[in-house]
Amino acid sequence: MAQIEIRDLTIEYRKPNSDEPFVAVDRVSLDIAKGEFVTIVGSSGCGKSTLLLAAAGLVNSASGSITINGKEVSDPGPDRAMVFQEASLLPWRSVLGNVRFGLEMQRWKKDDPTERARRFIRMVGLGAFSDYHPHQLSGGMRQRVNIARALAVDPHVLLMDEPFGALDAQTREVMGDELLKIWERDRKTALFVTHDIDEAVFLGDRVVVMGRDPGHIREIIDIDLPRPRTAAMLDSDQFAAYRRRLREGLGEDMAAMHMITEAA
Amino acid sequence: MMTELYRRHEALVLGTLSLLTIGILWQAVVSAGLINPFFISTPGAVFKEMGVQFADGTLVENILASLHSFVLALALAAGVGIGLGVLAGWFPDAEAALEPFIWFKYSAPTIAFYPLFVAWLGYGTPTIVAIAFLFALTPIYANTLSGIKNVDRDLVRAAHSFGARPLDIFLRVALPGSVPIVVAGLRLGVGRALTGVVVAELFGASAGLGYSIAYHAQLLQTTKMMVSILVIILLGVVLTQMLSWLEKKTDSWRVP
Repeated sequence: MAQIEIRDLTIEYRKPNSDEPFVAVDRVSLDIAKGEFVTIVGSSGCGKSTLLLAAAGLVNSASGSITINGKEVSDPGPDRAMVFQEASLLPWRSVLGNVRFGLEMQRWKKDDPTERARRFIRMVGLGAFSDYHPHQLSGGMRQRVNIARALAVDPHVLLMDEPFGALDAQTREVMGDELLKIWERDRKTALFVTHDIDEAVFLGDRVVVMGRDPGHIREIIDIDLPRPRTAAMLDSDQFAAYRRRLREGLGEDMAAMHMITEAA
Repeated sequence: MMTELYRRHEALVLGTLSLLTIGILWQAVVSAGLINPFFISTPGAVFKEMGVQFADGTLVENILASLHSFVLALALAAGVGIGLGVLAGWFPDAEAALEPFIWFKYSAPTIAFYPLFVAWLGYGTPTIVAIAFLFALTPIYANTLSGIKNVDRDLVRAAHSFGARPLDIFLRVALPGSVPIVVAGLRLGVGRALTGVVVAELFGASAGLGYSIAYHAQLLQTTKMMVSILVIILLGVVLTQMLSWLEKKTDSWRVP
């Protein structure tokens, strides 16, 4: 049995000042095995983030279901932890306070929350920055804190919503590499949303390609690159082939996006 | 070296210079016989009178009387303003219910209530405190309300994702996130509470800086009036600076 089972999931938003519901995700089905790293890629508006929020229990579905370990998701739960874009750290708390935050919210009792938080801060390489505040850190460091906060609560499933989306290309590559190193330790089931094709291929065991209007799964591509993944793989022919295939898969959406960026 | 020092303290230097210029002009127009000192006194006379009033204890007595009313009014305004602000920020129904009163407070001059308070509380400290309380209440309430109400949605969502309950969101996200803007409201409240105290004292009091101004105004003693006016200005600056300092301290985590 798959650890995450998404069955015919449809999610609708009610538009303000309108009775017409907007369909963000349309009849999506997806199975994810325990320990699998699945990336979801698609242009903006394809419902990829909405799908992730539904798995987190932060968005309700109109029909269909998501079950994790056989339990239907309706609320956030300690079996899942989410890594957001960088703006989600509490700015008045130190790094230590932020990593402790998730543990506090879950009333963590298994061991001392402060000691535990310190351990995960060391794990993401920020041991010397425990007392710093988010505004004193770089974007990459802030995302390490975000990752430590999610891992500290020891979830079964790690949900990541474009966690490196606000970072520059170099930092992004380094962070992807670091994330995999951390992930390799206990290989938690991971669902990672991105709009970056290279990132999707580099991180994922499988890449789910989503299309828009309404948001649906277009195809799922198995990535047969060996683990641990290395930066050198980015230049391999195999990687280039995956990159090309994904570009084609995203096809029209990408072309539309380019036209928008060029027009702007 | 000097230019470097100047550049760093440019605002301070220029501010001091312009104050000194006013002082010198003030003295000069009187010395040159352009304006009768009866109307504006002179800096020298004011400082001398300040020394006299300090020595005989009347200045300290007046400052303490005004400060007493000020502290009571500000404490009340802070308690009620922050309390109601939190309530209205968290419960939209409470905000809607309080809305008309805030509306009245913004549109109507608070001092119009003065005769009513005199009828209820008589002349003296209770009425002064009540007026100053009303003066200070609005900014403290309004800032607290907007701080709680405009809690960062991204942070709320992150907290929810870790299973936060409503009370967690309130205590760990909304409340700490509002501290800087609440302190900013208190800083505004300080200035307005002081204004309220002085204005109310002008109309009816037996001690205090505002009372001293009104008293000496009736006797046409310009120099003695000027002493109280200067002290009020100084008091206002010192109190507001204290709150600005507190604001900076509590605001240190915000992105500059």
